[in-house]
Amino acid sequence: MAETAPATRILELTNRPDSRRVWLAHLRQHMDVLAILARKDFQVRYKRASLGVTWAVAVPLLQASIMAVVFSRVVRAGVGPGYGIYIMSGIIPFSYFSSVLGSGVTSIVDGAAFTDKVWFPRILLAIVPVISNLVGLLVTLVVLVAAMPLLGVNYGLRLLLLVPATLLLVAFAGSLTLVLSALNVYFRDVKFLVMASLMVWMYVTPIIYPITFLKRIEFVAVANPLTGVVTVFHMATVGSRGPWVAPLLVTLSVTAVLLVIGAEAHRRYDRLFVDLL
Amino acid sequence: MTAVIELDGVGKRYWQLQEQAMLLKSLIPGRGTKKVERWALRDINFSVNAGETVGILGHNGAGKTTLLRMLAGVSRPSEGRIRIAGRIAPLISVGVGFHQEMSGRENVLVNGMLLGLSRRQIDARFDEIVAFAELTEFIDTPVKFYSSGMFMRLGFSVAVHVDPEVMLVDEVLAVGDVAFQLKCFDRMRHLQSQGTTILFVSHSMHAIRLLCPRAVLIRKGRLEFDGSAEAAIARHHELLSVDPRDLTEVAEVTTSDERSNGSVSITSRLLESADGPTHHPAPGDLVRYRVGLRFNRPVDSPHFVFHVTSEQGIPCYSMQTRIGQDWRRFAAGDETEIDVSFHARLGGGTYRLTVTVADRFGRDVLLNDPTGVVMYLAPRLGSGGFADLEADISASDTDLTQHAPLLIASRGEPPEMLPR
Repeated sequence: MAETAPATRILELTNRPDSRRVWLAHLRQHMDVLAILARKDFQVRYKRASLGVTWAVAVPLLQASIMAVVFSRVVRAGVGPGYGIYIMSGIIPFSYFSSVLGSGVTSIVDGAAFTDKVWFPRILLAIVPVISNLVGLLVTLVVLVAAMPLLGVNYGLRLLLLVPATLLLVAFAGSLTLVLSALNVYFRDVKFLVMASLMVWMYVTPIIYPITFLKRIEFVAVANPLTGVVTVFHMATVGSRGPWVAPLLVTLSVTAVLLVIGAEAHRRYDRLFVDLL
Repeated sequence: MTAVIELDGVGKRYWQLQEQAMLLKSLIPGRGTKKVERWALRDINFSVNAGETVGILGHNGAGKTTLLRMLAGVSRPSEGRIRIAGRIAPLISVGVGFHQEMSGRENVLVNGMLLGLSRRQIDARFDEIVAFAELTEFIDTPVKFYSSGMFMRLGFSVAVHVDPEVMLVDEVLAVGDVAFQLKCFDRMRHLQSQGTTILFVSHSMHAIRLLCPRAVLIRKGRLEFDGSAEAAIARHHELLSVDPRDLTEVAEVTTSDERSNGSVSITSRLLESADGPTHHPAPGDLVRYRVGLRFNRPVDSPHFVFHVTSEQGIPCYSMQTRIGQDWRRFAAGDETEIDVSFHARLGGGTYRLTVTVADRFGRDVLLNDPTGVVMYLAPRLGSGGFADLEADISASDTDLTQHAPLLIASRGEPPEMLPR
C-alpha cells in the first residue's frame, strides 16, 4: 500500500502579514472555534441570572416602553398611531448595536490571556459578540411582531423587510466593531469614546422621533449610518415615513468601507497585537 | 533527517514605550509617543530535526519565552524567518490559553481544536485526557475555579494527547506535585520515543539532563551555545560565575521576598571560594558563605541553621549552632554576619544554600530565607548522585592468579593502566 503521507502543515513566520489567501484559510479553519466561543459568550452572559435570556428581551422592551410613555405623554413628541411600535423598532436594533460595540470594542484586549498561548485569528474575538447577541435580537423581534396588533399596527407584506433590515444591522455593527476593536489595542481611549458616543448617537438616530424633528441639524441624522438601518426597520413595521434612499446609501457605503478597513487591519496587525496587550 | 524547525536570522524587537500611546497626542503632528527600541532576541540561527529533543537554557530575561512564543506563532519575528513543518502544541508558562468562564470540558474542546484536532478526534480522546489530568470530578466546573495545579494538569494533558509533531514546553513541570511531575516526565519520554520533536525550556538542569541530549543556551538575546546538553549546562554555569552582573543580581533578589515575621532581614549574601566570589566552585573546594543580617527588634542569642538543598528539594546537608547557648543580645538595628565555611564535597548538580534564624531555643523561626544562593558543581568525571565520596573503582583482570588491578578510575581521573 502506498503511503499516503499526511499533508504536513508548513508554517512560515516572518514579519510580513499573511497573504489574503492564507488569512482566509485560517479563518475557515477556525469557524468551529468561533461557533463555540459565540455560544459560550451567550451562555456566560445570562448563566448566572435566574431569568436567563429573558433579560436580553426584557431590557430593550422596558426601555422602549418607558420612552414611549415619557415622550408621548410628557414631551408630546408622539408621531401618531403606532408610536409604541415605532419606538420599539428603533430601540431594538439600537440596543443590539450598543451591546455588540460594548463588548466588541474591548474584545481583543480582554481576550489577551486567552490568545497569548495558542495562536488563532484574533478577529474572531471581535466577531463573537456580533453572533452571540443575535439570539437576543431575534427573540425581541419576535416579541415586537407579536405586539404589533396590540399597539394598533396591522401586519403586512412589508414585515419581510425585517430580514434585510437585520442583515444590514449585523453588517454595520460588525464592520464598525472590527475597526474599533483593532484601534482599541493601540489607543485604549477608544473604549471610552465609544461609550460616550453611544449616548449621543441615540438622539441623532430616528428612534424616539423622526429625523425631521431635528430641523436644522437634520443633516447629522442623514449622515449617521445608523439612520439607514433604523429606517429599514421602520419601513418593515410601521411603514415608510419620510426619506429612506439617502440614509440607506450612506449606511451601505459606510459599512463597505468599514468592513474593508476592519478586515485588512486585523489581517495586517493581528500578530502585532500581542506585543501591545 | 529533515529539519522540522528552522530559524533563520530571527530577531524580535519590542518598542519600549515611554508612555502609553494616546489617541489625542498621536493626532497632533510632531508629538508622537516616544519609544525606545529593544531587541529581545537577535540573530538566532538553529534548526531542529524531526524527533530531536532540545533544551533551551538561559537566565531570566534572556529571551527563552520570547523564542517559544514566536515558535508557537503567537508573536511574529521582527526580522528573519521561522519555518515549522507539522502541527505544533505549545505549552507556554502556566495556563494554556484556557477561557476562564468555560468549563474544563469546553476548554478541552476549544483547546483541542486550536491545536488542530477535529471535534471527533477530541471526543475519542476526551476520557483519556481527563483521566490523565486527574480531573474527572471537576471537568464540568469553570476553570476559573481551578487551582493553578489543576489548570496546568489539564493544559499539559491536552497538549500531550493531541499527538503534536512539535511540542514546546516552557517550565511547566515546575507546577504540580511530584507524582504528577513524574507522570509528565514519563509522558514526555513516551512522546520522545514516538518521534515527537520537543523544545524544552527549563531552569532545572536536572530535567534538561534527563530529557535533552542537545541544548541551546541563550544569553542576552543571542544564541550563546548550541551543542550537547552537558556542555551547554557547563557553559551556562560558567557564565553565571564569570558575569559579575549575574552575581549581584542573585544578591539583590534578597530582602523583599524572604519569609519572615519581620524580626530579621537579610542585607547581603555572598558565596566565595579562594578565588573570590563564585557560584561555581570546583568539587572539594573550601567555600565560604556569608549572610548579612539586620535585627529589627531585640533578639537574644539567636540560633542559626545552614541548609544545603538539591535542585529537587531534597535536603542534602545542614549544620546548626548550639541551641540554648547564651552568647549575645542584639538590639533593634544591630547587624551581624553568619559565616559558614564548608567543603563542596557534593556530587555534580545545582544546590541551594539557605539559612534559618530562630530564637535562642530554636522555637520561633524569625527568618526562613527561601532564596539563598545557588551553587553549581560540575560532576567529577564518571560520578553521579549527591555525595562526593571520591571513590576509587577498579576491577581486576579475570585472570585472578595475577592479582593485578588493571584498570582504575580514580577521583575523576581518566582510567589508566596501573603499573604492577
